Amino acid sequence: MSLRLSNIGRRAGQQWILRHLELTVSDGECLALVGPSGCGKSTTLRLIAGLDPADEGSIELGERDVTRLPAVQRRIGMVFQSYALFPHLSVADNLDLGLKIRGIAIQERRRRVSDVLERMRLQERAAHKPAQLSGGQRQRVALARALLRDPLIYLMDEPMSNLDAQLREDLRPELRQLVLRDQKPVLYVTHDQHEAMAMADRIAVLHQGRLEQIGTPSELYRDPVSLFVATFIGRPQINLLHTDSSSVLGVRPEALQLQADGLPCRLTHLEWLGASQLWYLDSPQGTLRMVLAADRRVPETIRVGWRPQDELRFDAVSGRRHR
Amino acid sequence: MILLLGPAGLLLLVVFAAPLLHYAWLSNHADSVVTGLEPVLNHGANWIRLLQDQRFWQDATQTLRFALVSVGVELLLALAIALLLDQRWRGRGAVRAIALIPWALPTTVMALGWRWIFNTPYGPLDQLAHALGWPSLNLLANPAITWIATVVGDVWKTTPFAALILLAGLQTIPGDLYEALRLEGGSSWVCFRRITLPLLRPYLALALLFRLAQAFGVFDLIQVMTGGGPASSTESLALYAYLNAMRFLDFGYSATVVSGSFLLLLGLCLGGWLLSLGLSRPQRQQEV
Repeated sequence: MSLRLSNIGRRAGQQWILRHLELTVSDGECLALVGPSGCGKSTTLRLIAGLDPADEGSIELGERDVTRLPAVQRRIGMVFQSYALFPHLSVADNLDLGLKIRGIAIQERRRRVSDVLERMRLQERAAHKPAQLSGGQRQRVALARALLRDPLIYLMDEPMSNLDAQLREDLRPELRQLVLRDQKPVLYVTHDQHEAMAMADRIAVLHQGRLEQIGTPSELYRDPVSLFVATFIGRPQINLLHTDSSSVLGVRPEALQLQADGLPCRLTHLEWLGASQLWYLDSPQGTLRMVLAADRRVPETIRVGWRPQDELRFDAVSGRRHR
Repeated sequence: MILLLGPAGLLLLVVFAAPLLHYAWLSNHADSVVTGLEPVLNHGANWIRLLQDQRFWQDATQTLRFALVSVGVELLLALAIALLLDQRWRGRGAVRAIALIPWALPTTVMALGWRWIFNTPYGPLDQLAHALGWPSLNLLANPAITWIATVVGDVWKTTPFAALILLAGLQTIPGDLYEALRLEGGSSWVCFRRITLPLLRPYLALALLFRLAQAFGVFDLIQVMTGGGPASSTESLALYAYLNAMRFLDFGYSATVVSGSFLLLLGLCLGGWLLSLGLSRPQRQQEV
């Protein structure tokens, strides 16, 4: 295990903004941290990087306890959400500055910078200032800087949130390949669950400063431990039916099917998704979302049901899954 | 589009170009009690007089010395204050407001205050010297050092303004730049030198420009604190122009003094600009 967080906590004043966090990420594994804003995912990155001190627990990095080490001694490769490029320096100088500060000889620095520029296909941009680059190029410079750090771990704080949707999709495989080539652990923060599923081997869902669930994307989708995870993972969002006062019944839109003895429904809205279609249905149990094959025609009378094994039952008060 | 610039252009013409041109015109005329306060063309006689006027050149040197020392000290202090006020600490808001008070005070009021502080023998500084058994400081009556007293007054009054500009500049610098450098092992000094200072440069230039122009035209502070004395050792060009017009009623020569000061300041700005071009060029090559 190359990163191990044990019982990590962080306070803001009297209030815990992150608590009892246990995580391990192995070499060559990409773990995505997801959750709504304020759930503690960026805080987690900052604690690992050493930008903020942990108020509780310990951080092990590469078999070494780094909890009390200053940021520089942790060897972190971090990609900031804003990229944090130095606006007054050229691309080459942006990459060179860290090496220079660490006292590396000039020939070695030149060689490393030109290597990484080539690897990131940025040779043509070496003399440009960050303001003259496109969003994708800036992101590559930020990544190049992290690579040059020769880090023990990569930390990425929403590295794609400033890019347009198309570019984001294009960059996912490239980014994954680039950082995982080093066989180092990667911790990837995002609020986009599609991105998390595409990038990560495992996903950790944080909620109000607690780790809600950690697992592979399909585990989280098929076997959520709580109502929160069930609604957070999976789009279109899971249908929730309030069958009785003590529990909530969840059924994925993909698990709904047309069946003769099902709930009588009325179609209120239809969204065309290309390979599939999404129906919004008015049922006696409230609004239902249902995903169907694209070629399915709308029948005269709609009756909707599901298989018992597709039911997810949650406690109405605690939101925990009934097993 | 051009039309939209009209009002601004007109304003500049009226408040800037027109007086300037008027003074340029008047500087070539005799206009004093001798001519019955009517302008009479005297073909550059004023300008020849200006070139030979030792008092003008002494005042020019004094004004330049005052401006450079005062603005230099002020920017250093302002930078320190701005860095301090940019940090998070309890009571920062109150201190920020208090720090602006000297700038908000009317110059005549604060200049009177400083005149009293430096007063011999009743001012608090002299009282302190007396209590310590030192001789009287005589700060406002010694031609060698009185200009320093005026610098103190000016620095006290205008540092908040420069600090405000620099503080605004500091707050445009994103915090994650510092964090990125910290991860690379940058100390506070490295962060200051590699991020703060270069990114603050346009704001430093702005503060320098504003303050140099103001300090070069200083009038009220000197007039109230020393009246230009002792032995016109603290007299500024603006004060000399004022004296020519209002005391000697020589409006023609006063206009020449004003125009001459303007040309000096223009030359100074051009020189500074060329110097900054020369300084920044090799640096740019180094960056590539």
